[in-house]
Amino acid sequence: MAIPLRRTIPHLFMIAYVIIILVPFIFILFSSFKANNTEIATHPFGLPKSWEFGNYKEAWVKAKINVYFFNSFYLAFTAAATGVLFSAATAFAITRMKFKRTSGWIYQFVLIGMLIPGNVLFIAQYLLVQKLGILDTHWSLFLPYTAGALPFSVLLVSAFMKSIPHELEEAAVVDGMNVFRMFFQIILPLTVPALVTVFIVNFLGNWNEYLLSFFFISKDALRTLPSGMVQFRDAFQTNYALVCTGIVFSVVPVLVMYAFLQRKIIEGLTAGSVKG
Amino acid sequence: MQKKLVSVLALSVAMSAFLAACGSNENNNTASPSPSESASPSPSPSESAPASESTAPEKVENFTVSLRHIQIGDAQKFRKAILDDVVTKTEADVPGLKIELDGVEDSVNRFTKLPAEMAAGNPPKIFDVFGGSGDTQKYAGAGRMLDLTPILDELGLKDKFLSGVLEPFSVDGKVYGLPIGGNTEGIFYNTELFAKYNLNPPTTWDDLIKAADTLKQNGITPFAVGSKGAWVPNMLVNTFIGRIAGEGTNAGFITGASQWNSPDVVAAYQLFADWEKAGYFTKGELGKEYGDMLNDFVAGKAGMMFDGSWRSSAFKNDAVGAEIAGKVAFVNLPAVPNGKGDQSSVNANYGEGYGFSSDLNDNELKAVKAFIKNMYSEEMQLRGLLEDGVLPSMKLTDVSQVTDPIVKQVLDVLNGATASFPHFDSVVQSKVYTETETQLQKLIAGKATAQEVGTAIQKVQDAENAAAAK
Amino acid sequence: MRTTLRNPYVYLLFVVPTIALYFLFFIYPMLTSVFYGFTNWNGLDTKDFIGFDNFVNAFKDEDFRNSIWNNLYILLFSCCVQVPLIIVFSLLISSVKRFQGFYKTTVFMPSILSTSVIGILWGYIYDPDVGLINNILKTFGLDPIYFLADTKWALLSILITNAWQWMGFYIVLILAAILGIPKDIDEAAMIDGATGVQRAWYLTVPLIKPIINVVIMLSIAGALRVVDIVLVMTEGGPAGATDVMASYMVNKAIKYGDYGYGTALSIIIFIFALVLTALYQTLVVRRQEKVEY
Repeated sequence: MAIPLRRTIPHLFMIAYVIIILVPFIFILFSSFKANNTEIATHPFGLPKSWEFGNYKEAWVKAKINVYFFNSFYLAFTAAATGVLFSAATAFAITRMKFKRTSGWIYQFVLIGMLIPGNVLFIAQYLLVQKLGILDTHWSLFLPYTAGALPFSVLLVSAFMKSIPHELEEAAVVDGMNVFRMFFQIILPLTVPALVTVFIVNFLGNWNEYLLSFFFISKDALRTLPSGMVQFRDAFQTNYALVCTGIVFSVVPVLVMYAFLQRKIIEGLTAGSVKG
Repeated sequence: MQKKLVSVLALSVAMSAFLAACGSNENNNTASPSPSESASPSPSPSESAPASESTAPEKVENFTVSLRHIQIGDAQKFRKAILDDVVTKTEADVPGLKIELDGVEDSVNRFTKLPAEMAAGNPPKIFDVFGGSGDTQKYAGAGRMLDLTPILDELGLKDKFLSGVLEPFSVDGKVYGLPIGGNTEGIFYNTELFAKYNLNPPTTWDDLIKAADTLKQNGITPFAVGSKGAWVPNMLVNTFIGRIAGEGTNAGFITGASQWNSPDVVAAYQLFADWEKAGYFTKGELGKEYGDMLNDFVAGKAGMMFDGSWRSSAFKNDAVGAEIAGKVAFVNLPAVPNGKGDQSSVNANYGEGYGFSSDLNDNELKAVKAFIKNMYSEEMQLRGLLEDGVLPSMKLTDVSQVTDPIVKQVLDVLNGATASFPHFDSVVQSKVYTETETQLQKLIAGKATAQEVGTAIQKVQDAENAAAAK
Repeated sequence: MRTTLRNPYVYLLFVVPTIALYFLFFIYPMLTSVFYGFTNWNGLDTKDFIGFDNFVNAFKDEDFRNSIWNNLYILLFSCCVQVPLIIVFSLLISSVKRFQGFYKTTVFMPSILSTSVIGILWGYIYDPDVGLINNILKTFGLDPIYFLADTKWALLSILITNAWQWMGFYIVLILAAILGIPKDIDEAAMIDGATGVQRAWYLTVPLIKPIINVVIMLSIAGALRVVDIVLVMTEGGPAGATDVMASYMVNKAIKYGDYGYGTALSIIIFIFALVLTALYQTLVVRRQEKVEY
């Protein structure tokens, strides 16, 4: 008797935790289908009296969530992909090519970047982007996103590449393979697990980034999801149902992606933080 | 696996090429709409090309002009409609012109975007701007804004504006911005609630206080307010200062003629703090937005609100406050006992309007002229008054068409006024203004006394005045 | 044969894009920050060199000092409240067999969402009129709490949201370390008759100390990085009650156009981060290593 009880105690605590995680989502989901503020206020927990799918249509059109979504996706993707490519190339050069001293310097130089907390550079980056004349264009996000991920990516990919045995490319050199084929056909495929980690960390980081996207972009058509949603909330502050609908729109795709890729995402993000 | 990787790489290269295409076009102001926008699945309706463009027989050079406005959200829909019509007209007037609208929330535009763009020297070609030394006069002094004096002469507009309204937009007699309209800030009250509790209209101080106390006793908030943005409660503070310390006080802060920590100004803050203490304002006001204030008032949770006359359009039958349409009245703040100022003075602001970048090519200049001609016309001014309750900044020959009862009351208030004073936000330097917001929130939160508030603001005022004198 | 991996042009091609971007967006801003930090630049007028004035003013600035205290409060909350809870929940999950995957996936979920969206979402949870929590209070006949509008509650409310978002992430981190402990040690202890709690405290916790240190380090860094959620939920208000160093800096620079002062503040934040990390490393991590030997 005592043992089954003791076994259920951890479950009780965990179920409480899980409820705390899930209840806000359910509240938002129900609210998004309700007719108006009064219904949310008077029946906060119940199912909506009638399911107002109109909210979804209205939010989609008014909030331009499709535009924000597309912007976020392609910026997060291109910046993460570019970051992966650049860091893999650099990691290859400093771990596999025969310029030991220079490589050591470059490695140390990049390491400095890991010490600088992101938002410290915010103002200076803002002024830089202004000076470059790319404020209010997607370049003002693409470049800092790509650059911001480099120190961590280079370190992680370098660590991984160091562990690949040197015999491999020696054999390739004997076969007369040039350095590009060696990079793309031998080393890169072997590094894929590290690259995937780096890509996921950077993609999610860019996807969720708020500070730069809020202050560097003011054109509605160029906004990303995080800053677009804040703008949407501020414009429709008092229409709770509509804003809840916006939240559902912005959360669901991420959760779907998470449902499919959860193991990869969890591994990637946690590995990323420990190594960093 | 290799194939997969190669295709991912190819895709990412293609994506960055696409990005490159967007970026290079966006840097070029005269280019046709950038691909990123044409690629976005749902361009807003206002961006669709005017019909006249396709019918133009000769080949014209297409160009775009950026326009920053602040008419976003449901409450601004009337003003947005007027702007849209002006844009359509202007596009029809100038062949090849396409105006690219960029809507940004008011305070974000005023305090974040515009200052940054001015610093970088690349403001939008046409933009919403405020008058005064914190905004237009500062930017004009730095050479960022177009001198409109020749255009006004050419279009014969100079004398069409009401006297004095161009002043906050002028430096050394040259005009750099045009006020779109004016407003006065006063008390909106719910006539139904007042009738229910047998209250007199709040036209005397005693009636006002009695109304507030009665409402409070009955569980109704006397004054709806949303103080998350401190400019909202600042409206009431401003009128208190004008009444208690005199109508010349606001204008005197930048010259040193009046001080924030003088007993009279502190008394105005003290009055506000007393009302705060008496529970006259919405509970949790520091977390409430400007929109919440209207909501509470419309829902009958509050009996009064101190707001700008522009809010009158919210109580039309097809607007956000339709629920209480016909049950709202507007009065000036009644005479404050022992006030030093002229007690029938009103606060009158012609502070917001449009300004234009000084960096324009010939085509863009043509577009700007056409925009001014279409926007600052008797027709649009009258529409602003009738549809949106915005007081005209230009002389109108005929205002007999005004039927909206609240707009009529607003006009009555103005006609009954013997003097007027500006809002200090169009007078003082932006740092001082921001300090008034910071300090007022501290006062509301009970973290500072009226005296401390006055002292802190005056400290910034002194520093700014000293810097300006250099 | 050796020339393939010694081609300097290829080396440059592989290295230069990274170095160039990294220099432009890390090193160059860092250098200009130091430069701007000693000027009174406001974005429009000339930049005058004003020595250490900005730094002196920063420590005289009551509002900035207040934001430093708020950061320290967040830091203490993370290390003293969050970290113990994280350890307890990781131990709980590791002790069960059924639903372990489900718990792990669910608690981790909030950390992949955008902080700004979470800020908006929790804004509604806290809303005094329609919000979830105040609705619950109402059913018990209690007065509403103005979570984000009351200076007493606002910072705590933000911290709870922040914890809601990030605890799962750290739990999964520690869970991985716990599950990595060889089973036979635990089984040996079980045979010796140690209870679950005893095994957790005397066996598991000492073994996962390195990862706990990592979590504490990340929490310290995280406490100094908090800014998105503040800007989204309260913009630093009410009356500065939730202002942190970074949000104060952003507002000073962007809203006031005080670029010189703002960058001086960013340098102060940087120094804070360095000092705190170094302190923790020397005081805690080193000493533990000594004890182990």
